[in-house]
Amino acid sequence: MRTARVASRLAPLAVAGIALAAAFGSTTQAQEGDPIKLGAIYITSGAASVYGQYAQQGLRLAIEEINESGGVLGRPLTYEIEDSQGKADTAIQAARKLVFQNEVDALVGLDSSGVATALVPIMPELQRPLIITHAATPAATGELCNRYTFRVSANVNQNMKAAAHIAADTGAKRWTTIGPDYAFGHESWEFFGKYLKELDPDVELMSKTAFPRFGNEDFTPYINNVMALKPDGVLISVWGGDLVNFVRQANNLGFFEQDMEILMTVGAATEVLAALGDDMPEGVWLGTRYWFDAHDNPINEKFVKAYMERHDAPPSYNAEGAYAAVYAYKAAMEKAESTDPEEVAKALSGLSFEAPNGTITFREGDHQATVGPTWGKTAAMDEATGVRSLDPMRSFDGKEVTPSVEETGCKMK
Amino acid sequence: MQSFIAALLNSLDIAMLLFVIAVGLNIIFGVLNVINFAHGGLYMLGAYFTYMLVGRLGLPFWPALLLAPLAVAAVAVVLERLVLRRVYDRHVTDSLLLTFALLLIIDESVRMIWGSGIHVVRPPDLLRGNVSFLGVNYPVYSLFVILMGAAMLLALWALFTRTRLGRIVRAAAIDRDMAQTVGINVPLVITGVFAFGAWMAAVGGVIAAPMRAIDPGMGDKIIIESFIVVVIGGLGSFPGTLLGALVLGFIHGFGGRYLPEINLVLPYIGMALVLLWRPQGLMGRGAAA
Repeated sequence: MRTARVASRLAPLAVAGIALAAAFGSTTQAQEGDPIKLGAIYITSGAASVYGQYAQQGLRLAIEEINESGGVLGRPLTYEIEDSQGKADTAIQAARKLVFQNEVDALVGLDSSGVATALVPIMPELQRPLIITHAATPAATGELCNRYTFRVSANVNQNMKAAAHIAADTGAKRWTTIGPDYAFGHESWEFFGKYLKELDPDVELMSKTAFPRFGNEDFTPYINNVMALKPDGVLISVWGGDLVNFVRQANNLGFFEQDMEILMTVGAATEVLAALGDDMPEGVWLGTRYWFDAHDNPINEKFVKAYMERHDAPPSYNAEGAYAAVYAYKAAMEKAESTDPEEVAKALSGLSFEAPNGTITFREGDHQATVGPTWGKTAAMDEATGVRSLDPMRSFDGKEVTPSVEETGCKMK
Repeated sequence: MQSFIAALLNSLDIAMLLFVIAVGLNIIFGVLNVINFAHGGLYMLGAYFTYMLVGRLGLPFWPALLLAPLAVAAVAVVLERLVLRRVYDRHVTDSLLLTFALLLIIDESVRMIWGSGIHVVRPPDLLRGNVSFLGVNYPVYSLFVILMGAAMLLALWALFTRTRLGRIVRAAAIDRDMAQTVGINVPLVITGVFAFGAWMAAVGGVIAAPMRAIDPGMGDKIIIESFIVVVIGGLGSFPGTLLGALVLGFIHGFGGRYLPEINLVLPYIGMALVLLWRPQGLMGRGAAA
């Protein structure tokens, strides 16, 4: 009787003990079939939430493809997404939550340069690899670089070096700019001017420029100002909904009928082109980190086809960046034969892998992928996709437009 | 001279759009004593309904100008009856928090229904192209915005000063209890005023749809501008709203043209100066709460 009573008292304790031991076991060592977790940080609310939506589409597509063909190291991939709201402090909170609470193995994301400059310096503290897929500030793989941070997408440097080539070929001499009044607009103009001067010392970079507030809805005064300056060429780094507003107002004012060369640094974004339709004029040069129609390789063919089947629209550059980042992690984890963050970060450095925009290498010196943007001149409407086609079109080789590691100011720690 | 005229015309169409939106905000404050953050959301709903009717269903612009604001007014009636009504007796900060929550809910609902993409609506054929005005090329659509604003201004003035309905609303604004005692159905007036303010916001949304990108952040942007207008002009003042809208329109139109380096801070400098000089706004009667 007595022993039975003791046993009945001890039984629940034992069960609890076993449960506790099991719980410990699962956190200390990953089981064979446990998923590998990616943590994603994008803008998923507010005006720019379209970028988070596209990134998520790219992530999901890559993860499903990989899981269907056996996963990574025999384990399936999953992801959790947090909203950065485009704000630095929110993004840092999101990163902490993903790393310390959700215990993700690696991070991917970032839409805004402001977020990147705040988050990149604390990566050594979070001790997880981060692949940036959108934010373009050179600093992230320049003076702020560290061993955990990588970027798979083209940065402002690379895009502006390509833009300078396009600009030099037009023969236009007097250039000005219209760009958003924050780092991105000013950096774009600064690097464009620097590289254009190198290619053609005769060009004049006008001192009168226009930097309307980001989220400005009425560009008319700025458009009028620039038209009054009568430049030969205008670099426009306005983007997203602002660019849609800009183009429609510029149409009204006859801006595109002037004798000027127009370069829009992020104009070939499908969300902007789809919204504008034939309001986007012909004969304007548009740049983008990735153009679905520019790369003739089996991976791009597969990616574009699968994306179009799901979403009935061509993939935007942000979907491609996120898609490529997942494949980069797959390659790195297989190379390291581990998901250990230190090992994966080491494996990413100098890694080459196949992405829709070609073979991509994360340079050892600064962890920037040697990728080039695509630039194209707007031509006839493409009825199948509802956006303007680009013809002629030029995809830049990453080696051609990536500045040397010394130039970037990166001292890898 | 031409550049001056261009800046002037450009300021006017910004000002008139701001007036149409901000006056609704101010009327709601005057009668309900509620600072309605959700106003930006209602403006956005006006634009999205226009996109639905014109962009998706292929209706012409003009019926949309009639239907979209009515639909938004209906949404406003539901919001007022179900939610807003419960906080009138509380401190003004409670209604501030509540309407801010409503704005967030409208923002996310719009994103869930219409997605996060950018949309545009074409102006009607009649209003496309440019006219030449004193040597300046001016979009016909901007001219339409100015005329709409002026028409709304006259109609509102006549409504509030020349009609029985206007007098009832003003009575309810000045003293709710007294109005109730003399037999005015005050709760009905309050619902009506809220719906009317929402209708004005939505008219602004419909007018903005063919000239602005329609995306889920448009409501947040306009509510800040509208608050600046109301603060400059004076809370609760109808002529003040017109003045505030003109001041902000000129700040955008001329500031963008002649002082582009500091255009970012100009609206806030303007607002700060007015607050220092006349804390109740240029034509305000002083804070009621």
